[in-house]
Amino acid sequence: MGADLSLRNTADRRTSRRRPARPQLIKIATITVLLLFVLFGFPQLLSLYYIDTMTQVAVYSMVTLALGVLVGWVGLVSLGQVAVLAIGAWVAARLLFATTQPYPVVLLEAGLITMVAGVLIGLPALRLRGLYLALITLMFAGAITVVLATLNFPNGGHGFTGYNGSLVHIPPIRRPSIASSDPAYFRYSVIVAILMFLLVLAHTKTKPGRAWAAIRQSEPAALAAGINTTLYKLWAFALASFITGVAGGVLAGAVHYLYSIGFPTQDSITLLAVTLMGGVYSMWGAVVAALLYQFLPALLNNWGVSADWLTILFGLGVLQVLTTAPAGLAIEIVEEAHPPPASRLQNNLTRMGHCLAPWLSSLVSCPKPNTSS
Amino acid sequence: MKANILSARRTIVVAAAIAIAAAGCSSSSSSSSSSSSSSSTSSTPASTSTASTSAVSTTQCGTKPGVAATGTPIALGAIATNQPGTSFTDIPNMANAYFACVNANGGINGHPIKLYIATEQTNPAQIAADAKQLVQTDKVVGIIGNTSIIECSVDSSYWQKLGYYIIDSGIAPECYSTPNSAAINMGPRYSSDGAVQYALAQHASKIVFDQSNVPGTGYIAAGPAALAKAGNVPIVQLTENVPISDADSVAIKEVDDAGPNGAVILNFTPPEALVILQAAQKLGLEDHVKLWGCSTPCNTDFLAQSLGAKWNNKLFVNAELTPPDVTNTTTMNLYKAILKQYGSAVSGGIGSFSQFGFAEAEIAVHALETITGAYTVASVNAAFKGVTNFNTGMTCQLWTYGSYPLHIPNNEDYTVTPDNGKMVTAQGCTLISSIDPQIAQYRSAAGTAALAPTS
Amino acid sequence: MPSWSDFEPFIVSGLALGGVYALSGVGLVVLYRATGVLYLAFGAVGAMGALTAWSLGQAGAPGWLTWLVCIAVAAAITLAYGVLFGPALAKRDPLVKAVATIGLTLILYGLMDLLWTTSGGEARSLTLPSDNGGFSVGQIQVNWTQVIALGAGVVLTVGTGLFLRFTKLGTAMRAMANDREITATLGVPVRRVEAAAWLGCGVLAGIAGLLLADLVALDATTLTFLVISSLAAVLIARLRSITITFVAAIVIGLLHDLLTPITSLTNYRDMTPFVLAAAALLVMPRSQVMAQSREEA
Repeated sequence: MGADLSLRNTADRRTSRRRPARPQLIKIATITVLLLFVLFGFPQLLSLYYIDTMTQVAVYSMVTLALGVLVGWVGLVSLGQVAVLAIGAWVAARLLFATTQPYPVVLLEAGLITMVAGVLIGLPALRLRGLYLALITLMFAGAITVVLATLNFPNGGHGFTGYNGSLVHIPPIRRPSIASSDPAYFRYSVIVAILMFLLVLAHTKTKPGRAWAAIRQSEPAALAAGINTTLYKLWAFALASFITGVAGGVLAGAVHYLYSIGFPTQDSITLLAVTLMGGVYSMWGAVVAALLYQFLPALLNNWGVSADWLTILFGLGVLQVLTTAPAGLAIEIVEEAHPPPASRLQNNLTRMGHCLAPWLSSLVSCPKPNTSS
Repeated sequence: MKANILSARRTIVVAAAIAIAAAGCSSSSSSSSSSSSSSSTSSTPASTSTASTSAVSTTQCGTKPGVAATGTPIALGAIATNQPGTSFTDIPNMANAYFACVNANGGINGHPIKLYIATEQTNPAQIAADAKQLVQTDKVVGIIGNTSIIECSVDSSYWQKLGYYIIDSGIAPECYSTPNSAAINMGPRYSSDGAVQYALAQHASKIVFDQSNVPGTGYIAAGPAALAKAGNVPIVQLTENVPISDADSVAIKEVDDAGPNGAVILNFTPPEALVILQAAQKLGLEDHVKLWGCSTPCNTDFLAQSLGAKWNNKLFVNAELTPPDVTNTTTMNLYKAILKQYGSAVSGGIGSFSQFGFAEAEIAVHALETITGAYTVASVNAAFKGVTNFNTGMTCQLWTYGSYPLHIPNNEDYTVTPDNGKMVTAQGCTLISSIDPQIAQYRSAAGTAALAPTS
Repeated sequence: MPSWSDFEPFIVSGLALGGVYALSGVGLVVLYRATGVLYLAFGAVGAMGALTAWSLGQAGAPGWLTWLVCIAVAAAITLAYGVLFGPALAKRDPLVKAVATIGLTLILYGLMDLLWTTSGGEARSLTLPSDNGGFSVGQIQVNWTQVIALGAGVVLTVGTGLFLRFTKLGTAMRAMANDREITATLGVPVRRVEAAAWLGCGVLAGIAGLLLADLVALDATTLTFLVISSLAAVLIARLRSITITFVAAIVIGLLHDLLTPITSLTNYRDMTPFVLAAAALLVMPRSQVMAQSREEA
């Protein structure tokens, strides 16, 4: 009886796996069309003012994506993401001035070095939880901001800091040779952003994603289930830092000139606010957050409306999001996308036991549905 | 299943939103924040007279008093910083007030001037975008009134590429070191030079130069360093992170380093300078040094009032522009009259910021009036560049743009000191010393401008 | 290396700065003990009150009235927030409650810049009568406002410690901060106690705002984000001990100012609160720093 049931379930799952559900197809198709429109339509339709703004949206969508991974997937609130962005931008600027390496290499290096920095901060910091962890990230961000204010961003000078304070003409940070114009650089940043989103997808759909979901639901339970919570939390930190570092590199090329006053600590707070408002669980949340953070201010600036109204809006948004969400920092949990860990693991074990030919799977012993892994 | 549909739906909605936004944005921007003043555009403007100055009619600003300009507008642009704690919008707003006056009194050969003002929050991407907005969407033919912490650095190559010769109130190094920018003011470096020069002239035995840690500190510090070195006076260079949360330690350090015969020279925005000076006063330290100096931002009556009598003849502020309170010339009275009638958007009132705006607008109008044909980017910027020996009535010297690799057209200044709530002249027009290498370089190219006649 | 006499004036100014940090820091911990909320809007609310007081003063109101209004404004905003959002968030993680106060901070910050616009040449300042008197320590003057700030910190530390431990209302507040549900079942008038706690918070924020506007600067940005540096002291005390917060704040202020004459470190002295907090938290044994985990909330 039980074996029949499992057979039937396996067959069902197999069929459903072979043909992706129609809504899934529609979703992928829509996203592809949208991305093509953004890549090729925007430069035709938008004025340079808005192209520049959309480049910033692309950059900050990576940052909000990283923050969303931390807050939404692992439940770690970081109040210092802008400081991490500054580190990434610093490294990229230094390399771009000091070397003639191709841009993708510089971006990768910026991401990796920022990742190392993130892990180094994360290692001791992850001994803390919840509010303490959030506050310690704020403290680190404050410290980094002061260091940056003193060391300044590289501007073509020599030495480790690459900063020459007496320059009468500051050279601009270079862009990739294939993307030196603003519309071309916009496309470049969107492509990098897409790559980062795919990177996050690769994580959330596989083992780290499941581990993070388990940790977010209940850390003691995850520990009891044998998940190495410290490793996975550190992994989340590393991923978030890497993505933010790459975003910093793209930012460096976008703005051409970097200043420490452009990365104040209070920006991290606004960034958290928009990330919460955008929604920390979906990829779209990151894009919406970036639009709130960069596009709306540019729009209001153009219309002559003070940016203060946005600050107020973000404050209200934070309050609304937090008071209308169910328990925990969870927001609009879409159950199917984030099923309870047990059935997810079970699904995947089934998939792992799945073989090419349908008749083989009947030979593989799949665990019963209500057996916990 | 359901979730997939939900998220698919959400995808489409967001996609639609972005598409709509893109379509909306592609149309040219609605007229940006060109603040119009509360003036009427028809005849007889009210004669504005303050009690002690001679009555001056604002109609003097234009060529045809009382006749409103109705031709095709000449579009000009300005970029100004406007963020919590730092706002330079008074400068383009005052320029706009001047333009409103001119528009009400004949315009430029019948053409009104429309000033597009873009504000920014010290974000390089936004500043670059603002420049493109002004040029591509608003189609401005000239840039006048730019006042920004970093705009000159970010946009100078863009202006050079497009052939715009901008008239600005400079702060960043590129405002003074590139061919495409000429400023009405002296900027932090040369204004600090002026303050240091005054201190050296009073025989201070040591200079402490403290400035806010915003972009360009090394460039700014080089001027005072050269002056002190030439005078064989030791100099201590300090920087402070702003906003200052601990003014006490700043004041104590400055006084300690300067010693009883030394001078402390500050280069900060007015709120920060005020905080430091007030801390020094509360600590009882204001008399522990020979004198205190400040670059031009301190030159406001507001500061004089907030500081009180203890600072009379104790604080010496370099003033890049003619002090308005003690000057009774026609131009100065016109400035005050225009400010009163058209300057409702100028929150700071009488002071250097509105003086900058007035003078820059004066120069622009003077240049535009020389154009005989169409008002294009080429003709307007050639006119701007061609301004030679113009008497703004606001500066010591006659003002020249010219074709030089760098521009420091205002390089002669006053020194003022607070006197019971007002800033009064302590020293008249004094040239900034050529010991500063940049000044020397400019003077070798452009010569030394003549003093402006004072009427 | 500077000599002792070089350091001496910085000891005095450092104590004054420590008093500034202590005022915010102790206020934050007291609020946390009483309501379970880390009230990050403490600085913004105080700034709003101070700016209102300034406006009234400019309009000609007498000093004492402006101070009362400052405190009233701060108390009103805090009470409104507490009554509107306190119950809704009561069962949530302390982290969520703290992030919610960030929402309030942003609203107030935007509002302050709209209402009291930055005008290029203008600089606002608030002075209290206690600025004018004082005494000398060495070569520098200490004014009464600084003494009051330090004194207020001490009074707050001792007074609220006693209040929370020995009075009925204080005990009720502590119980509520710990577990609202159980406290309600014990017959404590939860809503009233909560309102009292928030009201007290608001009054504290108003008084602190007034003093800080005088001691530091009357500037919305500075006052709102001063709370970040004060958080260091709060973190060192792990949000529990008011006395440790006070002592930590004094130490941070002292160290910050004592670094000023050391040329190689002076530009980094603003890092002092952050470095000390990070160090203190990271050397603590793990068991002592675990916050409430989500399932307990």
